[in-house]
Amino acid sequence: MKRLGLLVVIGLLTVSVIGMSCGGPKEVVEEVPVDTTPVVVEDTTPPPPPPPPPPKLKESQLQTVYFDFDKFNLRGDAKASLDENYGLLIEFENAIIKIEGHCDERGTVEYNMSLGERRARSSQDYLVNRGIAPERISIISYGKERPLEAGHNEAAWGKNRRCEFRIISQ
Amino acid sequence: MRRLFQVLVFTLLAVAATDATAQERNVRNIFFDTLRSGDIRSTPVGVEEMTYVGTDYISGYDSTLMRYITAVVQFDVDFYADFDLVLTDSFFLKLYEIDELDLLGWKRLGATYLVRLEAEFPGSMIRARWRLWDTSRKQQFAKGRIERPRDEWRDMGHEIADQIVHTLTGEPGIFRTRIVYAREVGQAKELFLADFDGANERQLTSNGSINLSPVMSPISNDVYFISYLDGDPHLYRVDINTLKVSKVAEYPGIIAAPAISPDGRKIACVLSRDGNSEIYVLDTDGNIIKRLTNHWAIDTSPTWSPDGSMLAFASDRSGAPQVYTMDSDGLGVRRLTYQSSYSDSPIWSARGGRITFVSRTPSRRFDLASIDTSGGDYRVLTEVGMNENPHFSPDGKHVIFSSTRLGSRSIFTMDLTGRNQRRLTREGVCSNPNWGPLP
Repeated sequence: MKRLGLLVVIGLLTVSVIGMSCGGPKEVVEEVPVDTTPVVVEDTTPPPPPPPPPPKLKESQLQTVYFDFDKFNLRGDAKASLDENYGLLIEFENAIIKIEGHCDERGTVEYNMSLGERRARSSQDYLVNRGIAPERISIISYGKERPLEAGHNEAAWGKNRRCEFRIISQ
Repeated sequence: MRRLFQVLVFTLLAVAATDATAQERNVRNIFFDTLRSGDIRSTPVGVEEMTYVGTDYISGYDSTLMRYITAVVQFDVDFYADFDLVLTDSFFLKLYEIDELDLLGWKRLGATYLVRLEAEFPGSMIRARWRLWDTSRKQQFAKGRIERPRDEWRDMGHEIADQIVHTLTGEPGIFRTRIVYAREVGQAKELFLADFDGANERQLTSNGSINLSPVMSPISNDVYFISYLDGDPHLYRVDINTLKVSKVAEYPGIIAAPAISPDGRKIACVLSRDGNSEIYVLDTDGNIIKRLTNHWAIDTSPTWSPDGSMLAFASDRSGAPQVYTMDSDGLGVRRLTYQSSYSDSPIWSARGGRITFVSRTPSRRFDLASIDTSGGDYRVLTEVGMNENPHFSPDGKHVIFSSTRLGSRSIFTMDLTGRNQRRLTREGVCSNPNWGPLP
């Protein structure tokens, strides 16, 4: 295909050279096919390779943030996780996310609903203070209704006191 | 005469008042005095097997119905906080050398009162009579008659028990009330309705979402609840007859912990529309009437006093959740609990006087505890598992709650005093119970 294109280009060039070297009104008639051929040439030139799709943020790249019992302040490891997420939100500037606040099974349904929201809000505030537009981050609390681990011990509870990051759009 | 018996039910030591209203007040006070002293006395009541008093031949089905009705009345008497059902196991009969269960036999078994049940079957109906006997005086002092279609035998048993409670205590029975709770169905939590004893369970929601914190209206057929039906939590209601679900309130942030006022016209709940959990009062269409709290801490779990003039709620303004009270205009906030590091989910007794709540005890369990509204007489009522979501029966004598004591979370009931704890749901993971109003 490429070779054919080349041949056509060469052919055209020779035709135009010949045309240029000739004179008289005769050439005007001949110019019509000459004019149409370049159009064909442009069509047959290889299309530019499709640009690689812009890399997308994956939910699995966003770190989960963990909390202490009945607390919503950010521990050192929580801030480190949020810093990672901050970097990703800077890199993927179109990503809109939702932070889900969760609690362990201890304590009551109602109190944990508020506590989960506070955890989500702590994470949101941290990212907004570092410069992420607040419109890009919404929050929701699931209280203790969506545990990640089913166990009834500190190992499970520690994993359930968390903020998860969901991508709404990008 | 009947008044005298009422007094005896509560083993009154004081002189019986002659005025009927004073009488009932006395009954109420006795109940709380009993709670305070820890000296729990309940009246032993026997329930005799229902007998057929007609003349025609009856079918095996009808004699089975009589056994069922007896079982319902026995269950209710056993359930009721003020009564103890007298057992008639052969062990006891042998122990007390009782050959025949006549009045004397019941007396020797300890029964103060005896319920005798009779049945006839006119046409498609059951006609039941109940008679209350005093075993010491060997006297029948009250009786009643109920006629119902055969397929309403269960409700009939409950109605008999209601009448017996009313005769002996002067208060309405609770045996025809209903309860509502959430059960896990796959990933979802759906709401279910059942009789107070767990019978006649019916599914109220089937939306596959998380449905929480149901509360039954005292004046309509609506159950108000929180649902994640459209992604974020909002307040909904479902009509228990039509199962029609409608959205009541939608505000930015969370909405949680709805509590309907005793007159059924207002809903106290938590909104975080201002960025933090605060307690608001809404009308039953979800419009904000008033914001009650204004504090940077979490304020949640509002509950109304029986006259609607005050609310109790939980707040972590001291650093950890504790129970507070305030006037219904949000003023006069006062801390009520100091006994544990975590006190939450208060529920004000329908009789006033006491508040039951979740307390994290030194053993690091979450137990139910009870306290006077003056802040005194703190008592722990449970001692196994994680116990949560307390709610009172409409007569304030019983508490429904959820517990993990037998594995997965189920619904339990107990007396106000913590006595008589029993499991109500047998299957699945159930939580968030609420006790409906008197019929």
